[in-house]
This record gives sequence, C-alpha cells and structure tokens, in this order.
Amino acid sequence: MGRVIVVTSGKGGVGKTTSTANLGTALALLGKTVVVVDADVGLRNLDIVMGLESRIVYTSMDVIDKQCELSKALVRDRRVDGLTLLAASQKNNKDDIQPAQMKAICDKLRSTHDFVLVDSPAGIERGFSNASAGADEAIVVTTPDVSAIRDADRIIGLLQHARIEPINLVLNRFSPELVGNGSMMDQADVMDILNIDLLGIVPEDTGVITSTNRGIPLVYEETSAGAQAYMRIARRLTGQQIPIPDLEQKGLFTSILNWFTRKS
Amino acid sequence: MANSIVALRAYRDGLHLIIKPHLSITEIEKAIQEEISRMNRPLNGASIQIDLKAPTLQEEEMAYLRSKLKETYNLTVREFMVASEEPAPPPIAAAPTTHIITQAVNPPDSRESEPSRIIPYTIRSGQTEDFPQGSLIIYGDVNSGAEVRAGGDIVVLGALRGNAHAGMNGRLSSVIIAMNLVPMQLQISNYLNRIPIGEKSRGYPEIARIGKEDVIIVERFVKF
Repeated sequence: MGRVIVVTSGKGGVGKTTSTANLGTALALLGKTVVVVDADVGLRNLDIVMGLESRIVYTSMDVIDKQCELSKALVRDRRVDGLTLLAASQKNNKDDIQPAQMKAICDKLRSTHDFVLVDSPAGIERGFSNASAGADEAIVVTTPDVSAIRDADRIIGLLQHARIEPINLVLNRFSPELVGNGSMMDQADVMDILNIDLLGIVPEDTGVITSTNRGIPLVYEETSAGAQAYMRIARRLTGQQIPIPDLEQKGLFTSILNWFTRKS
Repeated sequence: MANSIVALRAYRDGLHLIIKPHLSITEIEKAIQEEISRMNRPLNGASIQIDLKAPTLQEEEMAYLRSKLKETYNLTVREFMVASEEPAPPPIAAAPTTHIITQAVNPPDSRESEPSRIIPYTIRSGQTEDFPQGSLIIYGDVNSGAEVRAGGDIVVLGALRGNAHAGMNGRLSSVIIAMNLVPMQLQISNYLNRIPIGEKSRGYPEIARIGKEDVIIVERFVKF
C-alpha cells in the first residue's frame, strides 16, 4: 500500500506546486512509483510545472463522472519511469467535487503506487478539504515570512484536527543572506512557532522560475542548490537518514552579535 | 523608547517618569513634551513619580519641573526619587489603555475555589479556547492569530503570541502569565492593551495585570 501525502500551505505562492512536482520527480528518480494529483480544480498548474499540459486528455472530474477509467486519466511522464500525473479539471470549480470522491480516487491510486502526492490549492475551504480527504500524511510548505507562517500554523491546526499525521515541514525560499543580515526569520524561529518535524529546507533559487516556465522540474538540474535540496527531501521521505545541512552560514560578526543578543 | 532622554513607564505603584542624568532642564522639558505627545490618551490628573539618576537636578529645577508639569499637563508629581544605580529588573512599559473605567465592580478574588482547565497542546492560528468558568493553563504556545479567553487567569507555559483575555467576566484582579509574553493584544476585564510593535521577547517569564494607574502593566514574573 502506498502513502497518500497532501502538500499544502494555507497561503498561496509559497511553492506547493513546485514542491509537489519536484518531490514527485525526485521520488521517481529514486525508483519509486509516484502519481502527482492536482487538487486545484479550476486553477490547475501542476501540469504546466511538470511540462505535461499538452498531453492531458482526461481529468479527475472525468473519472468522478465515470467518463473514463482512472488508469486512463493518468498522464505518464516520459522522462522518468514510474511517474504519472492526474490533472484537475480547469472547467469546473472546487465545489463540483466531494471530499469522499477524492478519497476514493486516492485509495485506488495508493494500491498501485508507492507515493500519491496531492497538490492542495491555497486556502482552508473546500479545495483544502478535498485535497486532504484521502491523505494520511501531510507536507506543509512555508516560506520564512510571518504571513506564510501564520497560515501554515492555521493549516497545521486543521490537519491535526483531521488526524492527519505525521505533518512535516518544508521551509521554502530560504535565503541565508537575508537571515544573516537579520531581515528574514531564521530556522530556529520558524521551528519554534510551528513546532512540527522539519523535512527539509529549500534555498531561494531563481532556477525555479526558468524550470517552471520550461516545464522541466528543477531536480533534473542536478547542480542547482534547489534540486539537491528536493532530492534530499525525497530521500528523507523514503526513510533515509539525511542530515539537514546548515544553510545559515553566519559571518563572524553576526555570530558574535548573536552571542550577545541571543534569547535564552 | 529605551534611548530617549525621558521615558514614561507604568509600574505596579503607578506612573513613573524616568529622566536620564547629565541633561539641561530645557532638554528635559522638550523631551517630556515629545514623550507625552506620543501617548494616545491624555494623562489628565494622573500622579507620577519622577525617577532621577545622580548627578541629579537642582532643587529649583525640580520645583520648576513640578509646576511646569502641573500647569501644562495637569500632572501631579508624587515625589522625586534619586536612584543610586540602575533599577533592576526594568519592567516593560505598557502603553496606556485605550479607555478607562472609573467605577469598576471588582468581584471578590475567588481563584482558589474556581475551576481551571488545562490545555495540553499548542493553540494555533485560527483556534480559540474559551473558559468563562475559571482559569486556563496552557501547556504549549498560543500562536499569532489564536485567541484564549478565561473568566479567571491565563497561564501560558510557552510563548503567548496571539490574543489573550483574562477576567472576561469583569474580574479586575485576573492576571496573564506567560513564559514568553509577546502577544498581539492583552485584555484583562475591560482593559485592553497591546505590546509595542517590534517588542522582542525578554527571555524571562512575565505577568500582566492591571496596575494602580488603570493601565495593564507587564513585569517580570518572580512569584505571585
């Protein structure tokens, strides 16, 4: 039986879809069978980030409406073995799907895949309840800014209420320079507030923009820092013990300053 | 304003005006005017204590200050205190409350006979905990965007980052205690207060209560 993991955040634009595409690809590169499910009905994006938009014939809506078999709706990613996409309908909206229907799809998918990654839409409404309905674990993606953290905190509360666990954190768009000069929250501050397990930190990487526009997930770009971070996260998801590297290379001056001003 | 020449602070025994040493009376006067204009309510009729550090002001300068404060701001100077050294620990200033209740009914202190409720987890953004029957004890944090309300006290054995309302039924003796008190807003009975923006954690437990001058004051929590 495979694992159904919902990738969510509360706030939009923090990297849920990018993380889903990259982790899905990374897990497939590690030899796992993976299906990435776009749950953002009406505002689908995952297909673009995966570079599969031209090959979508059927969507999860067609499966629910019994227009096609689930297996026929899965779009195979030809670049790597074992990776498929289940797209969301762009014509419908989130209220056209019931949480129970999403759960049924996830339950079917988990019997044939190692990992089912569900890309949740932003928000805490129907789209989120649909995305999390079939999940037994969650990855919360956040950036180190106060508004994203507050929304992540809200989502964690809702996931806990729905008894989805474990809930792991991916800290995205982390910038050691900004942390160094004191304009970004550091890792310790984020973990202190959210208080869940840290799955990994993805450094700010402009390569994400080009990779999204070209429809080639960053993980294929092996030398990029973002790609390496996603590969490490994927390995951790498979149970490997990979330490989280310290990205906060503080200068000597900041270290001394922190020594004097640090909180007890 | 930790670096300013004068600072108005609410302590448990009332308002204090703290004046730095080595300053001319004109500098002090100007600084007082700036400090008072920052307040969001008039201090009309309040009595204050003036804390000085050696070398102190001359007798006539003190007298001048006393009459000046009276006629310009209607502030009565209780006394001039000359501190020999740095007062420790410095309680954190709380901005004056947004409104004042002059005739508040204070029900008898019933802490011991009241029930209390333990919340053994962190209260996250969007979540609320209400306990009008008594006090709330939280074995975790109250995060930004979360809200806790209690008829009695609120004790947070973690960080209080959201909103807390103690004494929601009107008990003025209710207190809010947190290991790390960095809330958005504090409310005790009908008194509302917020921590100045950008206020950082002090790194020790603190207690918020209603002080003598009808403001919520926050100070280091040593014992009840």
